[in-house]
Amino acid sequence: MVAVSVQQVTKSFGATKVLRGVDVHVPAGGFAVLVGPSGCGKSTLLRLLAGLEEVTSGSIRFGEREVTRLEPRERDIAMVFQSYALYPHLTVRDNLAFGLRLRKTDPAEIGRRVDEAAAMLGLSHLLDRLPKALSGGQRQRVAMGRAIVRRPALFLFDEPLSNLDAALRAQVRVDIRKLHDQLGATSVYVTHDQVEAMTLADVMFVLNGGVVEQQGAPLEVYDAPATRFVAGFLGSPAMNFIKATIEDAGGGGLRARLGDGSANLALPPGLPARPGQAVEVGVRPHDLELCDESAAEIHLKVDFVELLGPEIHAHCVLAGAPVIACLETRTGVSVGDTLPLRVRRLHLFDQESGRALR
Amino acid sequence: MIRRRTAARLALAGLALAPLLLGAGEARADEGDEAATIQLWHAYRGAEEEALQAILEAHRAAGGPPVETLAIPYDAFGSKLGAAIPLGEGPDLYIDSHERLGDYRVRGIVAPVGDAFEGEAAFRSNAVQAVTLDDAIWGLPLSQKCVALYVNQGLLKEVPATLEGFAGLRDTLPEGVFPLAYEAQGAYVHSALLGAFGGSLLGPDDSFGFVGDPAVRSLNLARALIDGGVVPSDADGALVTNLFRGGKAATAISGPWLAADLEGSGIDYRVELLPKVEAADGAPMRPLLTVEAVMLSPEGAKRADVRALARRIAGPEAAALRQERARTLTARADVPLPPGDKLLAAFAAQAEVATPMPSAPAMRATWEPANRAIKAFLRGELDAEAATEGARKRFDDVRRPLPPPASPTPLLIVVGLLLLYGAFSLVRQVRSGELVPALRRSIPAYRYVAHAVITVGLLVILPLVVGAATSLWAGRPETGHYVGLANFVDILTARGGPLLATGSFYVVLLVTLLWTLANVFFHLAIGVSLGLVLSRPTMKLRGLYRVLLIIPWAVPNYVTALAWKGMFHRQFGAVTGLINALNQTFGLSIEPIAWFSHFSTAFTANLATNVWLGFPFMMVVTLGALTSVPGDVLEAAEVDGATRWQRMWQVTLPIIRPTLLPAVTLGAIWTFNMFNVVFLVSGGEPDGTTDILVSEAYRWAFTREAQYGYAAAYAVLIFLMLASVTRLGEWKAGRRAAREAAAARAAQAVEGGGH
Amino acid sequence: MSGSGGGGRQVRAIESIASHLVVLLAVAFALYPVLWVIALAFSGSATPEARVLPIPREPTFDHLWAVISTTREVGDSTQWLFGRQLANSLIVSIATALVGIGIATPTAYALARFNFVGKEGGLRVLLATQMFPAVASAIPLYLLLDFLGLLNSRTGLILCYATTAVPFAIFQLRAAFESIPVDLEEAAMVDGATRFQAFRMVVLPAARPAIAVTALFAFMSAYNEFILAATLLGKEDMFTLPVVLQRFIGEYDAQWEAFAAGALIVSLPVMILFYVLQRHLVAGLTSGGVKG
Repeated sequence: MVAVSVQQVTKSFGATKVLRGVDVHVPAGGFAVLVGPSGCGKSTLLRLLAGLEEVTSGSIRFGEREVTRLEPRERDIAMVFQSYALYPHLTVRDNLAFGLRLRKTDPAEIGRRVDEAAAMLGLSHLLDRLPKALSGGQRQRVAMGRAIVRRPALFLFDEPLSNLDAALRAQVRVDIRKLHDQLGATSVYVTHDQVEAMTLADVMFVLNGGVVEQQGAPLEVYDAPATRFVAGFLGSPAMNFIKATIEDAGGGGLRARLGDGSANLALPPGLPARPGQAVEVGVRPHDLELCDESAAEIHLKVDFVELLGPEIHAHCVLAGAPVIACLETRTGVSVGDTLPLRVRRLHLFDQESGRALR
Repeated sequence: MIRRRTAARLALAGLALAPLLLGAGEARADEGDEAATIQLWHAYRGAEEEALQAILEAHRAAGGPPVETLAIPYDAFGSKLGAAIPLGEGPDLYIDSHERLGDYRVRGIVAPVGDAFEGEAAFRSNAVQAVTLDDAIWGLPLSQKCVALYVNQGLLKEVPATLEGFAGLRDTLPEGVFPLAYEAQGAYVHSALLGAFGGSLLGPDDSFGFVGDPAVRSLNLARALIDGGVVPSDADGALVTNLFRGGKAATAISGPWLAADLEGSGIDYRVELLPKVEAADGAPMRPLLTVEAVMLSPEGAKRADVRALARRIAGPEAAALRQERARTLTARADVPLPPGDKLLAAFAAQAEVATPMPSAPAMRATWEPANRAIKAFLRGELDAEAATEGARKRFDDVRRPLPPPASPTPLLIVVGLLLLYGAFSLVRQVRSGELVPALRRSIPAYRYVAHAVITVGLLVILPLVVGAATSLWAGRPETGHYVGLANFVDILTARGGPLLATGSFYVVLLVTLLWTLANVFFHLAIGVSLGLVLSRPTMKLRGLYRVLLIIPWAVPNYVTALAWKGMFHRQFGAVTGLINALNQTFGLSIEPIAWFSHFSTAFTANLATNVWLGFPFMMVVTLGALTSVPGDVLEAAEVDGATRWQRMWQVTLPIIRPTLLPAVTLGAIWTFNMFNVVFLVSGGEPDGTTDILVSEAYRWAFTREAQYGYAAAYAVLIFLMLASVTRLGEWKAGRRAAREAAAARAAQAVEGGGH
Repeated sequence: MSGSGGGGRQVRAIESIASHLVVLLAVAFALYPVLWVIALAFSGSATPEARVLPIPREPTFDHLWAVISTTREVGDSTQWLFGRQLANSLIVSIATALVGIGIATPTAYALARFNFVGKEGGLRVLLATQMFPAVASAIPLYLLLDFLGLLNSRTGLILCYATTAVPFAIFQLRAAFESIPVDLEEAAMVDGATRFQAFRMVVLPAARPAIAVTALFAFMSAYNEFILAATLLGKEDMFTLPVVLQRFIGEYDAQWEAFAAGALIVSLPVMILFYVLQRHLVAGLTSGGVKG
């Protein structure tokens, strides 16, 4: 187990800059998740860590070791691929043993480790099969097993769950985290799925356009998104955004004149905004709460209702902008109702820079 | 064969390895002297080969040096000798027909026999005359061969005195038995008839002799014989053998080789002199006489032990042994015929009436035009005058004077400019600073490709480049010279003849295009249909069908080609059998088709053969491509209400098209250059009309005076056409790909914007 | 199947019969000439006769036996010539396949996976070699082999065949390698393999069907070739079988039965190979298509 330290790494393919100066630090034994939309550079960063691509500039260190120019095999890493990349001509057993054999590990030791990993992943009865005779979930576990037997200092995961169906995905997600805790090796995990990112990470890096937009513990990032992008990317349904202009509300307070100007929202004190500033107000659907008429900060008319079981998503319009509110089902909201709502928490972003104002 | 001087010029032209070639040729010639073993080449088979071995054993027993023999197919003999002897790889002595001597002499691969010759008295005068060129003896006569008349004594007691008299036999012979079988369509046997009229294939001063009155009269007589049902119409040598052996011909004109084939057939036969010809005032038919002779290579002629061996092979004991074992007619005057051997006696008598075949190199150029003239006439396409005149033109065309030597300066300037341009752009790229890092990045890849670059470059590309460069030379390898682009000009102007005449570049190109298109069409139509049918999961036995249907692919294509040629035989082919069966079953009266007498049928025969060869490949490619058609797309189309037919045309075929396209391209290139089928099945028949560019090039290189430069010019033209068509296709595909990529990017941008 | 109407079952039955008929017709077309050769090989009577059904007349094994039992005297001992020639054919063809694949595989891999200076140009030259008729290059090749001292040797023949087979093999294999996910090699490299090890231990085995089929083509091209072999080989005990077969068909005394018997023997090994590999043929040929 090593700490991973990426310093000012850039990567270009020809004229295309994919990474524009990235810093990532993962403590030894930590579980880091790189998350972002497709094309943000997260997979490229992982491949740089693996040594499958060469950095254009910058350096990568594993612990004290400078690995920037090392070949993959010299880095003491293991990687789980999105496609699993199981060797089609080898049995499960040989797939697991492949890396150890390359390293000329003692055969008895190989046998022991393969059996151990297989037992850990419930693959023991499949050891003599070829990959094409396995289900998707089994293949995924073989790919994991192949990483585990190596006992590397660093695990790399490249969207390992994206080819599984939803139910299996949730379960394997839990398994991966348990495995990590059990093995204690450092892990770097790439995904575009914010749920995976939230649930797995010790530390999360949100990438966009080749830079790290924000990093930190998942909840920290979720609660205090540093940019409009991060705010919009995390959370489901996505955060509601309404363009607004800051006005002086009198009495030292500020308020936001929303959208087309048909509604206002008082801002909590202490925000670094100034009157006349163009902002975007962000409110998570779950931060809208039904309340008494007297306490209502805004009123929304319901256009459409999605029933999800325990909660409903009420689609409304606020000052010309679409807004979703997540409410408990028992509230019995239906189309045409006008809801008195309280905003539990709001985020403010500068329209120009997209940075959070706080 | 590129001669050394030529090679040196190529070296001048900047071909790096040519000088090495030069050195090698000379080094090898020196080694030749040290070898004690004597190399002997021959084209014998069977009894003749055994007799030769016995003679050699006797020589060895008498203390001669060891002899290594090699049997080479007759057809390949000349070209192999010509290639090997100048390199010091060839034999010290070889046994071949005398008529090739003139050619060999020009090429410098034969030398006068010197003291190996015992003197004129030892040999028959005809034979000595055959091996004499400019008062020197160039070979030791071994045996004489000519055709004579075989008579089936079971069918015929009395042979008519004249050729015309054979017509009277029609009524006395059983149904279906020809009075006389001979290869009427070949110039070799026909020249016996020509001889009766006082003509010959090669005229004075190496001019074409098969013209004028004797030619016309001999042709008309041949036609009368065929029309009168006396002689089968399209017999080749093998068929004559079969007819006579099967008792379907009362007499046959053939050589001693027929006797060997009659062994064990139970046919009771004798051999007589060829009949006289009434129309020629009773003059006898005069067949061509071929004298088989031992010849010495220039190296071999220097060795006393080689000359001694030659002398023994041509000596009286050997002659006696050959007569006894192989029943070959000796060319010696002092060896008596085996008493009681009537066969040999008859051939000996015939040899006295025969004309030795001219050994001038021009003789070789007479065969193709003469053969074609005879065939065209017998098919009734041309009258005798027009046919022979056409043949003379063709002969003159092949023997036309070479283009004048051109100055190599323009070539050197062009090469120089190209090198300069290359150096300049290299320097520019290095200066721009992109090349060096790019090269450095390429080094790992170069480790994977280096050995392929070296081997393919050396053994495939270098010969190609040198071959292409020969297109700037003209003439026989020994006397050729640099002519610039004259070969190309000649070809593209049809050598001054009409642009749309048979054999002109443009007509042959048209045939080649038709050939390629028709083949690709049928390969695709049959291959794709079968692929579609066989890919249906409900089809039973499809595994078995698939195995059976790829069999044509597994059979060597020369075997296939020859088998198909046999099936298209007019009299005995399976296709004729099929027609007969149809006639019998349905009471029809379809005439058997002479497949190789008309362009359309000969072309069809070629096409059928090549379609047979090629459709399995397309079928397999289709089967593979079909696995990439997603089932849900077809289901979607079905739900949308598309019929099966619509689904195939509008969904399946467009989806597999990109996979098929490269296979079709490659298939088209191969078909364009498919030499084997055209050469082996129709052989260009009739009259060279079914020749494609490649087989035409082959003829110039190997059957028409070894005009390699001219053939190479054809090859370069073929290459240029194929390359430009492919480039055009690539360019179009590239544009389409670019369009699609742009559209995809635009679509992505729209999606991204909506995010 | 068009199960749209009520008479779906009937339509399907008719369709099924029709497609079987079409295929059977094609099978007859495919087999007829082959059966003809077989019939000829076993025919005792040489009397020509136009016949429809390829059934041997007076069946006999004589021709087959005569071809197989060809011997020749070398010094005091008798050499089984046919055996040597068969061995020559097999040695030359197998070596061609091995050498050809050996040359083509790494090159095809580099063309599929690397970008390098000269890649496009190289591909163009490879395609160009397929367009240039061999007529013009035969003689320079002969001179070259003489210079290399490889005339009259199996090695020379093998080198010629192998290099001639390489361009097509490269196209084939490149397409096959392109269809193998890059992930596999990367996984191997992360697992501790060098690039070459990844190629050798993962890519090659994964491309086995395509390699087998490509090797079959190289084998066939060598096994069936006779023009070059007849020119290059100068000793009877060095001949390959096609050259031997060629000698049966002369201008005046074509021994058709012997030729047919020989053709049968010559064809047999290729047929067996095709049968063994036919399952891979489909996948091997079109893993990405014959990319030109």
